[in-house]
Amino acid sequence: MNENSGGLRVWHIVLLSVILGLLILFYKGLYGNPSFIPPVLVGTPAPRFEAPDLYKKERVTLDQFRGKVVVLNFWSSWCQECKLEHESLQSLNRQYGQNAQFVLLGVDYQDKEDLAKDYLQQYGNNFQHIIDTQGRISIDYGVYGVPETFVIDQSGIIRHKEIGPLVGETYIKFTREVIEPLLKEKS
Amino acid sequence: MRPLTVVFLASFFLVAWVGTGNTMLSEDDLQAQTKEVAKTLRCAVCQSESVWESNAELALQMREIIRERLQQGESPNQIRAYFVSRYGDFILLKPRPIGLNWLLWGGPFILLFIGAIILLVSIRSWTRDTLAVPLEKMSDLTEEDQKKIDLAIRTFKN
Repeated sequence: MNENSGGLRVWHIVLLSVILGLLILFYKGLYGNPSFIPPVLVGTPAPRFEAPDLYKKERVTLDQFRGKVVVLNFWSSWCQECKLEHESLQSLNRQYGQNAQFVLLGVDYQDKEDLAKDYLQQYGNNFQHIIDTQGRISIDYGVYGVPETFVIDQSGIIRHKEIGPLVGETYIKFTREVIEPLLKEKS
Repeated sequence: MRPLTVVFLASFFLVAWVGTGNTMLSEDDLQAQTKEVAKTLRCAVCQSESVWESNAELALQMREIIRERLQQGESPNQIRAYFVSRYGDFILLKPRPIGLNWLLWGGPFILLFIGAIILLVSIRSWTRDTLAVPLEKMSDLTEEDQKKIDLAIRTFKN
């Protein structure tokens, strides 16, 4: 009888552990951040692209920046959060734009050319932008909302993805922990 | 035209035709296959809708990509794999049974199994407790009880 009772106790512990484990997983699924999706492209080669420049009559390719740290920022004129981070992006370019190893490139996402130009005229602009009218670049980069920022290293590997606006603490962390260490790396 | 030239040109066009894969898909087939793939993909910006059902800009662009890739000869699985490589498993409406996803598929069965074990253990415990009472002890009537029963029977008969 005692042995049976002991066996039952072990069974109870095992069953309770399994139930508890499942409950924790379901709880995490229910109360986790639904907008967070683990980025799958970090650590993989950045998808190549060729797209028209927003202002000049030229096509821009990722390949032309090979050997540099490329910050690819997806934005749109209809995006409110993009307006929040726009000043930070200009600061980023003021801070690192003189470095020959650094490129900041805006990708105008699901937007109209004239609206994008109006937006940049209103909020200021000190870096290059390309237009992704058919969404090919954004889909290739797994973008599901704006703003999203990708950092590509000198050898063309995606090293970081930032979902949401680069402002305040996020901006400081982004420059200190992502951009600066990468600029110190050799291509 | 020399026979050799004819053979060369025929081979060239045959290779080109094979290389284009499904370019011979009829419009109806193309539409059906686009729908089949799009229905299995999640609209990344609306979450509760498939790429086929959604009218979001991103969903329309994804449908266009599916259509183009089908025309280029890619299979539905290859197209799904492309979207998974960009967005992860999140993009699939039906999660693949890999890694922690197994819990989604197996979770209900695990719970069913646990329930069955609890039920089995409870029944066994209940049966053991019931059988633990000796049969003769269960029918051990006192003299007084027997008198009450006899009285009740006689009253019933009268």
